[in-house]
Amino acid sequence: MNSFNQTVVFVMLTVLLLASPAWSQSAKGKVFNPDMSANFLGLFQRGTALTDDRTEVPHNGFSLQEAELQFTSDVDAYFKAVALLGIAQEAGTTEYGIDPEEVYLETISLPNVAIKAGQFKMAVGKHNLLHSHAYPFLDAPLIHQELLGDEGLTETGVSAAVLFPFSWFSELTLQALSLSNENLFASPSSSQTGSLAHLKNLWDLTENLTLELGLSGVTGKNHFDKTSTVLAGDLTFKWRPAEGGKYQAFIWSSEFLDGNRKGLTDEVTGDPAEHLGGMATWIQYQFAARWWIQARYEELGLPHPASIPSEKKQSALIGFYPSEFSGFRFQYDHLKTQGVADDDHTFSLQYNISIGAHPAHAY
Amino acid sequence: MKTCYIFTVLFLTTWSCITHAKLSVVTTTTDLRALTAEVGGEFITVDSIAKGTQDPHYIEAKPSFMIKVNRADLLVSIGLELEIGWLPNIIQGARNPKVQKWQRGNLEVGPMVEPLEVPTGNISRALGDVHPDGNPHVTLDPIRAGQIALFIAERLGELDSEHKETFVKNAQAIQTRLQEKTKVWQNKIDHSGIKKIVTYHKTLTYFLNRFHLENPAILEPKPGIPPTSGHIMAVIQLIKEQKISLILVENFFDPTVTEKIKNNVPTIRSATVAVAVDGAPNIATIDELFETLINTVCGR
Repeated sequence: MNSFNQTVVFVMLTVLLLASPAWSQSAKGKVFNPDMSANFLGLFQRGTALTDDRTEVPHNGFSLQEAELQFTSDVDAYFKAVALLGIAQEAGTTEYGIDPEEVYLETISLPNVAIKAGQFKMAVGKHNLLHSHAYPFLDAPLIHQELLGDEGLTETGVSAAVLFPFSWFSELTLQALSLSNENLFASPSSSQTGSLAHLKNLWDLTENLTLELGLSGVTGKNHFDKTSTVLAGDLTFKWRPAEGGKYQAFIWSSEFLDGNRKGLTDEVTGDPAEHLGGMATWIQYQFAARWWIQARYEELGLPHPASIPSEKKQSALIGFYPSEFSGFRFQYDHLKTQGVADDDHTFSLQYNISIGAHPAHAY
Repeated sequence: MKTCYIFTVLFLTTWSCITHAKLSVVTTTTDLRALTAEVGGEFITVDSIAKGTQDPHYIEAKPSFMIKVNRADLLVSIGLELEIGWLPNIIQGARNPKVQKWQRGNLEVGPMVEPLEVPTGNISRALGDVHPDGNPHVTLDPIRAGQIALFIAERLGELDSEHKETFVKNAQAIQTRLQEKTKVWQNKIDHSGIKKIVTYHKTLTYFLNRFHLENPAILEPKPGIPPTSGHIMAVIQLIKEQKISLILVENFFDPTVTEKIKNNVPTIRSATVAVAVDGAPNIATIDELFETLINTVCGR
């Protein structure tokens, strides 16, 4: 465990100790403690492309996919703060590491704008803003994994999200970010800063149906002292009736990412590997109070360089949620890779548990 | 980039200077909207986030609600964790400092009217969807509804002192009217012979408590947990033992669960009821909500 991780563990233990009754002077004193919650994602997988080597992530058999610890509180009259620490297996070892997935402060006292500073998930597309416990499927879309990495695009920086005075929800987010992401930037200089713009619009088409359209772009210098750029578009229809809405809902989401990592070449052949795009589209249907069925189609390589084979993937999922705080999901994936004779088939069973403070659910 | 920052600052400054002639109020539920509308009269505009047909525990934090709250002078909610799954996200997304919790533009009425069913001792989520500060369905008691009208009037008066007297007068009229009607409604209940009612969820606790009706069984085995066969069989046994003659199912729950009970106890009456203003086409006011509930209990 490196020194940063030790620091994080120290901070976490400190917060936990402060929250314990022994350190609180009275019940009233506890109201100043942060809201604390933990999410656990457990996994059992069998896949034709998965290995039995338990140092690989993912691998066949049982695994703790991830645990997330979240602390949230108002800091004072001006800010709230969020710390979300992810505990996951590190590739190449059976050890688990702690990463600060998000640690930031955000304004609560400014009109029409929210300013955020710290480390947080950048507003490129819609899926990248989700934590793994809130993913619609067990894994992120292929194009997100390939362009943004397993953890997605999380950077330190500042963000301003302005709400436009329109009759519908229209928000422009401008962000300045460090360029540490290994897949996209890996900028050698910490003084270099990237920029991001995200426009999100949401319309209530009817009382029961909404349409969300997002457009975003992020750019910055990369490892080759050239520019990496990602353009993203997302479109979501969401239907939940005002009458009977406890028992049925329907969501159709699509997301497209187009990345250009100037200077990137294939490590073995030296062929260009710069321009890579892909899309994912999925539907989610709630057919009973506690049951969902879902399907997803993905294409990686729209466009793609010759050095990166295109991939097509279909996924199906059925989810059972005994309560707001627990869920069990079964997913099947079929993956066809260009130039590979045999398709991959993966079966996964996941539990998703939440304890602690009641979560406020994002739309 | 510098031009962009200047534009943003000018834009925000201009926008924040926009003022509204009437106080703009957003409420979380339709009951609160009905009370606020009557208290504020012509001096306010008011809108509700939840519909009367929706379970107020499970509203989605739609961004369009953030727009409503962004433009509000006052946000009135129940509190007691009724809206905990969705209101914090709406407030954060609204970017309106006036309605942040603890500000004058944020009013939580539930804790102010002596909540019932406040758990004592240790509680756990193994007990279901328990509310640590008490049952949040406070507006289903006409007496508490009158008290809530007064609290809303006081807060509106703080935000618009010019019309404070009118707000208080309107609230007192609501309170007096509901107090008088409660006597009439109690009389009707007494004459109906109904003493015990089975409900689906603990939504009607305050209503039943006010009108001295017992609630010996709930169709949910625990709050928020859907009925199971085993629990329904236990409820059927209890209905037979205690000679209960009425089941009320709040209209955002699936009423088909009562079929099994009716097959086992043919004499029992089961009714689906609206539990909020606008929960049914004929319920546009808080008075009509109670009158419909009373008539349903009395079998009219």
